[in-house]
Amino acid sequence: MTLSRESHTSTSNSILPQSANLLTENGKFKKSMASALPSGDQGAAEANSGNGGQMQKKPFTFNEIVLRNRLTALVVDGDNFCRLLEQGILQAYGLETQSVNNGDAAVELIASGAKFDLILIDMLLPILDGVEATRRIRAMGMRCKMLGVTACSGERERQAFLAAGVDMFVEKPLGPEILIPVLRELDGQV
Amino acid sequence: MERNPLRRQLQIMRKSLFDQGYLDEQFVQLEELQDDSNPNFVEEVVTLYYRDSARLILNIEQALERKPYNFHKLDAYMHQFKGSSSSIGAKKVKAESTLFREYCKSGNGEGCMRCFQQLKKEYATLRKKLEAYFQVARQAGPMETACRPK
Repeated sequence: MTLSRESHTSTSNSILPQSANLLTENGKFKKSMASALPSGDQGAAEANSGNGGQMQKKPFTFNEIVLRNRLTALVVDGDNFCRLLEQGILQAYGLETQSVNNGDAAVELIASGAKFDLILIDMLLPILDGVEATRRIRAMGMRCKMLGVTACSGERERQAFLAAGVDMFVEKPLGPEILIPVLRELDGQV
Repeated sequence: MERNPLRRQLQIMRKSLFDQGYLDEQFVQLEELQDDSNPNFVEEVVTLYYRDSARLILNIEQALERKPYNFHKLDAYMHQFKGSSSSIGAKKVKAESTLFREYCKSGNGEGCMRCFQQLKKEYATLRKKLEAYFQVARQAGPMETACRPK
């Protein structure tokens, strides 16, 4: 299924319209990692739907990890907004990121020798879908952590994506409760 | 309790958005990425979402004008739309997106049409509420409801 034939690879992430202003001049996502630790009374904010966004202790927040090592990630998502947001969130956690908007571009990038510690890949992608792209990436010997991050939620999709080689099947959105333990593991903090 | 009347109003508006099920926890995750160096981050993300998703809404509308329905194409569009909607915490919009995809899978054209109409209502309602919320937020100045602690 082809939604778009545009093959887009972004490292500096300059695909946003000017007015969106989410990026610095260097094209980095406009969010710097804090060096300050959370204060005691506000450290972990939690909002539950239907609970008025009130504070409950939450296991993970954005502040809970500071990476010690250089980690790299590839975001593979056909949706501009999701790709940008996921890439930006990973950058905010301190990862160096690249992104592509279709499965074929992801496979080509890996085949060219690019290596990543983490790959976030959606299931429905233009040109080459996420399941087949994952299969081909694994067949090339890439053993990095791969998260299938998708709006698909069925058990059949989950099994198909896992069988293709993703380590985890994550229904969008990707939250810190999933991402932080993964980053800790990749960073050797576990 | 917030003494500043604008911030108090903001808290009430925010609480209402969650209590009435318009937003879920993902919105809080976005708020946590906001800080003094980018105090309008959440508004900018939401603005980008509405700008980007308008194209998908149009695609779906056009696809629903063509009979017989191409359920595979409709599902693909809605897959994208659901993904981006869930990324800003648009809870009701996400729920309608999920329902729409189920109608696609079962080949229920009437269901798709009805669901899409409801989805557009929720999408528009959320937009109005968030626009009002961000307007007050800008007047109130930086808020600390769920931002990273200093």
